[in-house]
Amino acid sequence: MKGNIIKYAQDNIDTDVIIPGQYLKVHDYAELATHAMEGLDPDFHSKVKEGDFILSGKNFGCGSSREHAPIALSHSGIKAVLALSFARIFYRNAVDGAFLLPIEIDQDAYNAISEGDEIDIDIASNEIKNITKNQTYKMKPFSEIIGKIISAGGLFKYKPDQD
Amino acid sequence: MGKTLFEKIWESHVVVEKQNEPSLIYVDRHLIHEVTSPQAFDGLRLNNRKVRRPDLTIATMDHNVPTNDRSLPILDQTSAIQIKTLEKNCKDFGIKLFDINSPNQGIVHVIGPQLGITLPGTTIVCGDSHTSTHGAFGALALGIGTSDVEHVLASQTLWLEKPTPFEIRVEGKRKDPHAVTAKDIVLSIIKHIGTGGGTGTVIEYRGEGITDLTMEQRMTICNMSIEAGARAGLIAPDDKTYDYLRGREYTPKNYESLVDSWRDNLKTDSDAKFEKQFVLHIDDIAPQVSWGTNPGMTCDVTDSIPSPDEFSKGDSNQKKGAEKALAYMDLKPGTAIEDIKIDRVFIGSCTNARLEDLIEASKVIKGQKISPHVRAMVVPGSQMVKKQAEEMGLDKIFIDANFEWREAGCSMCLGMNPDILSPGERCASTSNRNFEGRQGTGGRTHLVSPVMAAAAAIKGHFVDVRKMDLS
Repeated sequence: MKGNIIKYAQDNIDTDVIIPGQYLKVHDYAELATHAMEGLDPDFHSKVKEGDFILSGKNFGCGSSREHAPIALSHSGIKAVLALSFARIFYRNAVDGAFLLPIEIDQDAYNAISEGDEIDIDIASNEIKNITKNQTYKMKPFSEIIGKIISAGGLFKYKPDQD
Repeated sequence: MGKTLFEKIWESHVVVEKQNEPSLIYVDRHLIHEVTSPQAFDGLRLNNRKVRRPDLTIATMDHNVPTNDRSLPILDQTSAIQIKTLEKNCKDFGIKLFDINSPNQGIVHVIGPQLGITLPGTTIVCGDSHTSTHGAFGALALGIGTSDVEHVLASQTLWLEKPTPFEIRVEGKRKDPHAVTAKDIVLSIIKHIGTGGGTGTVIEYRGEGITDLTMEQRMTICNMSIEAGARAGLIAPDDKTYDYLRGREYTPKNYESLVDSWRDNLKTDSDAKFEKQFVLHIDDIAPQVSWGTNPGMTCDVTDSIPSPDEFSKGDSNQKKGAEKALAYMDLKPGTAIEDIKIDRVFIGSCTNARLEDLIEASKVIKGQKISPHVRAMVVPGSQMVKKQAEEMGLDKIFIDANFEWREAGCSMCLGMNPDILSPGERCASTSNRNFEGRQGTGGRTHLVSPVMAAAAAIKGHFVDVRKMDLS
């Protein structure tokens, strides 16, 4: 899966800046997407392209349990968020609806990857290739069940009986 | 080896457990509200599913309800639609709803305990991160997203990776318990362990500093567990817990026999092991004021704003975060907290809008007027809190001091209804999050206790409430 990086070099990006509270009344996902990251980066909507990835620091998605947060990012075109760590409810919401891939990376990868870098994520080998910089990093593998839910396309498409 | 309280509740609710996989957990109580439930009901309809246990599902409307005159129509059309949608969903699926006109309406985390719906040893979920509040009763209470709301509606279960137990011991006694409150304890904890300090854990709060607290104060502590990143927070039940729940509207008929079994079972064994531990000594803690844009960016009221270098202790992202926070908050390092002027005061939210919070705040303002440049409001946590406060005459104390006295709801905690800050306005708020834009685009939030908010309203700037007579 290839895409370009939008980097927010900070920790604690909360769900209130990912999708501010006043938009939790919006049910149309395309409209919701126009307000994604509005609380942090008003230019996000104009610069994000289908297939882009977000890169950020620790505790990404902290705060509210609003599933609108991964939905707004997903419908903006974001396919994965790479972060040093995730708040658990955000992580869970992202996986449940298969909205985007929450990928945990280490400090070296975080430091090395820059805004605009073209990245190729290979889940099968748990590798992230930086095509722009010709580097390769390891990602933290998904746990078995998270991997299965993601492959199935979300919690409601995953059938445990198939094991 | 012994077990922690969390492990005991967990084990008694496991439906399916396999090695190295999340477990399927039975849900005893499912609380729903208007904002995170509509898509879940849409999903049920789409798949022709029913609500498995409507009798264990309770709904109210709190997030976007107006807090002014409720005889008027709701002007915000999108809010009106969400409220109507919840009414229809509850009717179609046979769910008990405390609607906008119900005497039981209120913030979901205030009404659950108040009605005796929240019980020790149970599992409680809600599509809201502050569900952790109910942990004050020794329940395992988890905030979930909308997909999981749908999953619980359909199956009464939740799949969950088992969190690890985290012990936070609060030791000692507060010198002035009217001025140094439960809010100051929990803000102190988050200041020390950070907003990610509890990630992946269930916190059990223990020690004299916790058992000394009333039930309402314990709810304030557990409420903010999520701000430390924890999945949940809980406190072992004791006589205070059992007395609080006795005789409430939905308290079970066989309550006394339940209490007997809770007394035997709902405690952490003396030889149980916690994976993580933290101790806070509270003998000398001061009232807390947040200065930044997450709850970990907090200091004593007697302190000055720290420099990004002091705050970050060498971590570059922390430093950048502090610089960004100070720019957003329009504050400079070295400014004394007591010199910060405020424009607005909000006493409300699931953290601090219960009767005791209003009683304590009213003691600070009684017979005084708020500063002429301040606009202040009290939004009781539930209609029942409002009624009880009015019976005690608290509404008059607040109104005489020029506070606005509102109807119950989440209100300015998250800026979904018309109660918001204007850009640049600075607010002393008893809520739980000081994130950028949380209380309105460009609004600046300082988290404080109800008595600190009341004192700031009177003086027009932050003030150490310990200097005031609260007897």
